[in-house]
Amino acid sequence: MNNILSLSIGALISIMIAINGVLSSSIGNYQSVVIIHIVGFITMILVLILNKARINFSKDIPLYLYSAGAIGVFTVLFNNIGFSVLGVSMPLALGLLGQSLTSIIIDHFGWLGMKVVKFDIKKSFGLLLITSGIIIMTIF
Amino acid sequence: MFAIAILASFLAGVTIVVSRIINANLAQKIGLLQGTFFNYIVGLIFAFFFLIINKEPLRITNHSLGSIPVWAYFGGLFGVVVVMLQSYISHKIPSFNLTLLIFIGQLFMGIAIDYFTLHQLSIGKVIGGIFVLAGLIYNLILDQKKNEEILE
Repeated sequence: MNNILSLSIGALISIMIAINGVLSSSIGNYQSVVIIHIVGFITMILVLILNKARINFSKDIPLYLYSAGAIGVFTVLFNNIGFSVLGVSMPLALGLLGQSLTSIIIDHFGWLGMKVVKFDIKKSFGLLLITSGIIIMTIF
Repeated sequence: MFAIAILASFLAGVTIVVSRIINANLAQKIGLLQGTFFNYIVGLIFAFFFLIINKEPLRITNHSLGSIPVWAYFGGLFGVVVVMLQSYISHKIPSFNLTLLIFIGQLFMGIAIDYFTLHQLSIGKVIGGIFVLAGLIYNLILDQKKNEEILE
């Protein structure tokens, strides 16, 4: 069930990228990021009102927990630099490499409160298949 | 510039995973809806900041806004759903499995979108995607065997 939900998140991201791509090609990268966040922000306000949910800025939790939105904007910035110099395929492959290595390290050490999943050397064969798949996609 | 672009592309991937987990941690502390709200308000502030320092020529005019199809503004809505679902799932499965499953979903939906909008089918993407899928399934089976050993 969790696996199917995760696959659908990916499918939603693809639809989102296609829609956002139309916006950014018409009005520019940074202006579209602002608009996308305004739309998301308004959506969240409506969702909160409809659910009668309360917003409290809690000072008791570490401040860095609020940084994810900022980090997300850095993702866009890094992608813009990558795509403008390297084209489409290379940044995608490198981005997936970045995601994979970061995930493996975070799982292995249990950083950021994640459950520890030690890297199993038997998984090297799976990694080899995944890497070859990415190389095939990048070349063709 | 080439080296910077390579590093930037790699860091784009790193930041995707880190922000996903931090959002999930915030949601655990203050609630899913509230966490997503803060993701957007902080993101909006930074997006404005980068817009100003990048001096991108302003193309938002009445004319340009009118010529863009209305649905092009709804990407932010999909973003909200994605952020919420990711916050919900991030602590339920290992980060690496989530990364790969999202990638596979993204890849095959991307192939479908290209096929239906551009009438193009990228064989390289299909074959490459099958390799990634095979690698993921292989590793998931290893996980399952290990779990069964622990239970026994």
